[in-house]
Amino acid sequence: MPMIEIWTQATLWIALAVVAALLAVGLRIATALSEIAVGILAQLVIGVLFGSALLAGDASWIKFLAGAGAILLTFLAGAELDPDVFRKEWKRATAIGLVSFAAPFLGCAAIARWVLGWSMEASWLAGIAMSTTSVAVVYAVMLEFGLNVTRYGKVVLAACFITDLGTVVGLGLIFAPFTIKTLVFLGAGTAGFLVLPKITPWFFQRFGGRPSELEAKFLMLWLFGLGALATWAGSEAVLPAYILGMVLAGSVGKDHALIRRLRTLTFGLLTPFYFIRAGSLVSLPALIVAPAAFLVLLGTKLVTKIAGVYPVTRMLRSPRQEGIYTTLLMSTGLTFGTISALFGLSKEIVTQAQYSALVAAVIASAVVPTLIANAFFLPRHLLTTTIPGEKP
Amino acid sequence: MIARILLGYDGSGSADSALEFATALARAFGAELHVLAVARPPEVGDDVETLAVVENARSRYDKLLHKVRAKLASESIKTQFHVVVGHPAEQLVRYAEAHGIDHIVVGHRGHTLFERWLIGSVARQVIAYAHCAVTVVRART
Repeated sequence: MPMIEIWTQATLWIALAVVAALLAVGLRIATALSEIAVGILAQLVIGVLFGSALLAGDASWIKFLAGAGAILLTFLAGAELDPDVFRKEWKRATAIGLVSFAAPFLGCAAIARWVLGWSMEASWLAGIAMSTTSVAVVYAVMLEFGLNVTRYGKVVLAACFITDLGTVVGLGLIFAPFTIKTLVFLGAGTAGFLVLPKITPWFFQRFGGRPSELEAKFLMLWLFGLGALATWAGSEAVLPAYILGMVLAGSVGKDHALIRRLRTLTFGLLTPFYFIRAGSLVSLPALIVAPAAFLVLLGTKLVTKIAGVYPVTRMLRSPRQEGIYTTLLMSTGLTFGTISALFGLSKEIVTQAQYSALVAAVIASAVVPTLIANAFFLPRHLLTTTIPGEKP
Repeated sequence: MIARILLGYDGSGSADSALEFATALARAFGAELHVLAVARPPEVGDDVETLAVVENARSRYDKLLHKVRAKLASESIKTQFHVVVGHPAEQLVRYAEAHGIDHIVVGHRGHTLFERWLIGSVARQVIAYAHCAVTVVRART
């Protein structure tokens, strides 16, 4: 491809990223969400005006930047884990996290298979895409209520990591062919996960802190290397990235300056390509013609998440309203939901119409719980017991 | 009598006007002035970014409150400064209840239609839910 074409396309994609960032600021929403929306609209508008080839979402350089964005974003999500809390509360966290993963996973897979009539593989993928949760969103809720320092808050937060771990493990292994390559990948990955927490802090201390940004290069070396191994084995690159993030959370995750630099690289250059591309592959006409799949999946996710998680928050003696609020916001999961759906499309596990329904349900599962939570529990719930004479 | 005043501060023009008003009020009543800044996560959030937004907002407000603290250093009034995370109206009302605040002072600035539809105006929500008197100060034009 001539360089002039590449620079022109790069300009177009970055222009879309700027529009998406401005939209996110104006609407106070996640940039990932606005980038997906801009991707959907751009494909539609540019496709009608100039032909769909102009956006060139399948160009290899765009695929690389998008893939690198998914890997780094997943790594950063894993690195948010608090290893001390996890060590203390892993039994409870694992129990809640598995319920939070399994309920929507099995529920949505069953609905996709027997109600929507999707293939077995497409149904499993729907289950995975709908099972996710967003740790950071739940963390923000915990901060709001001051629950992040309580045992309840710590257990729920640690549980969110288990839920997302369930998602990436499901994505990485359910569709893997389970050949000798899979064993090689799992063996090499396990060795890496055991060795890296030991050598990384030493390596950074010995060679880091220089303008050459050796830390970022070292991390990307492992992320891309393990990603290549996972892809070779028929698995998915975000699986080792998330686990690597978790095992390095105690060292890399605590280096705030390094995390900020990695965020700059990830949000500034890479993830716009990922989310805009994910949006550009959504077929809006298919979604409008047949919205049932999207609505059914969204409803199932919300119902199964609430049915699975809310009783557990009550068992942990969370105050009722805060338990509902936490549960609702545990239903959001834009990053891993989109990654799962795009994995399904690229591996031809789902059709474009199914992919469109999945992405729409993932987006709605981020928006709808927030609207419900704000409409019913904010800020009225604080005052139900404090305003004399007012009925709760 | 007003013994404790709470100022919601976000560094905007109207918040600066509210700061002037709250300082004058505290001076007049010999009241304690609590200054609260609220780091606000995105309304619809996502992994990693939400955390980055909260961290950035906290760091920005820490710096802003440092400036306010320096500005009020010459005043004889007793002051307290806090940065919390959440929805501004909710956090202001919650703080006011927890600290026995007698009077809340907030600035008022324009919101986009989308924000109003989604969460309503902060000042309007504080007025609706606060247990004490509320003064809304508009930015000087």
